[in-house]
Amino acid sequence: MKEFVLYTGCTTPVRLPAYERAVEVVLEKFGIHLSTMKDANCCGAQYIESVNRVAFAAMSGRILAIAESMDMDILAICGACSGSLKHVKHDLDHNEELRDEVNTILEEEGLKYTGTVDVKHLLQIFREDIGYDAIKTAVVNPYKDIRLAAHYGCHVTRPEEIVQVDDAENPTIIDRIIEVAGGTAVDYTGKTRCCGGPLLAMDEEVGNAIGRDKIENIRKENVDGIVTACVFCDIQLTQVQFGPEAGDKPKIPVITLPQFLGPALGIDFESLGIYLNKINPAPVLEAH
Amino acid sequence: MTEQTKSDPPINHAPSSSFAKEIEQEPGGEGIMQCIQCGMCTASCMVASMTERYRPRKLIQKILLGKREEVLNSELPWLCMTCRLCEERCQEDVDLSEIFTAVREIAAREGHIPHVFQNTIDKVLEDGWLLNDAYTDFEEDDRSDLGLDPDLGWNNKFVKKLKKKYFKEGGKK
Repeated sequence: MKEFVLYTGCTTPVRLPAYERAVEVVLEKFGIHLSTMKDANCCGAQYIESVNRVAFAAMSGRILAIAESMDMDILAICGACSGSLKHVKHDLDHNEELRDEVNTILEEEGLKYTGTVDVKHLLQIFREDIGYDAIKTAVVNPYKDIRLAAHYGCHVTRPEEIVQVDDAENPTIIDRIIEVAGGTAVDYTGKTRCCGGPLLAMDEEVGNAIGRDKIENIRKENVDGIVTACVFCDIQLTQVQFGPEAGDKPKIPVITLPQFLGPALGIDFESLGIYLNKINPAPVLEAH
Repeated sequence: MTEQTKSDPPINHAPSSSFAKEIEQEPGGEGIMQCIQCGMCTASCMVASMTERYRPRKLIQKILLGKREEVLNSELPWLCMTCRLCEERCQEDVDLSEIFTAVREIAAREGHIPHVFQNTIDKVLEDGWLLNDAYTDFEEDDRSDLGLDPDLGWNNKFVKKLKKKYFKEGGKK
């Protein structure tokens, strides 16, 4: 049995706890057990990252050091957290001065970063630790006649040379999993474009226009649902379909990857927290 | 940088302004001189496609030309989503989001942080995480119903230490 320590980040536990639960339940099905990280802090993405590089390295560095003290690799399920932890790991591994400074701060609570743990985004677990063949074998209830659009998330896949999750220009992991589970993976205009979420603080109107543009590009391909691998993207692509700007167009269910895969593995909706989804994905998830 | 008059020598458009050199010295800003101003970044940018206020190529150009105060005082470096779609396409390997982060860091040191950023930074440095105020009984119940631990156990001591060490003065803006 493989074991990872789950770094949930700030947003998932509060805004999308069903995603957290679905990750646990689905990975357990493949013999991967997750430990929880207690006494953690925010990874520092976007906000601290923008104003103080050393403080940012200390925040993500502390998370890496806690994982080292647990002797476990980290699983990140949020694009921002995954990006931050991978970036800071890269910086700490290549910049001795920065590493020494971070370690001086960490030392006060008995922590130390030496670089022994790896950071993996959820998509890597599926491709590297489980593999498409094992997923295929585990599918007991394949989907039938459903069209799905994959949305990968900018910080999940870029920059490719640092995050090393998937081909940044032509990512395929979610698409492969959709196909293995019996669905049809559909390409669409602007597949690797941003959901607009990172702009909400500075300009909500423009951030939401970017999100709606993505939804309309997906709608043109006549899809039944959108499959995501980042909490922010999932929330953003959901919320832009509500409100006056969205009009009365039919809403396209947005489904996190483990919530999509779960039913094909024979996992019941309740265990995956499907009832909490804002746009009911049952019509998609019941198409077997 | 002052307005050019007719008697001034022509502007040197080669990337050699002192501001560009300053950015080049900042971690993340190293690649600024590689920009050939082709505009692939603006063509790729979703923010630029939705608002005329933001053009990444022009922002890089302002840096190359040395418009230091204009850039540091503006909202422009903070409008980059850091989605890195432009970087994926840049033929000269210019990391625009890294460069704009370097610009933000200099702006922050000189007290120019947008309010929304400052408010969130203050929250994170107080609570240790982003959503302390949003986490209510309602969300706790959702977690319990799902079989998840409602006690999130965030640490706020560490960020307070960082605040003391790196954020003594805070933003002036």
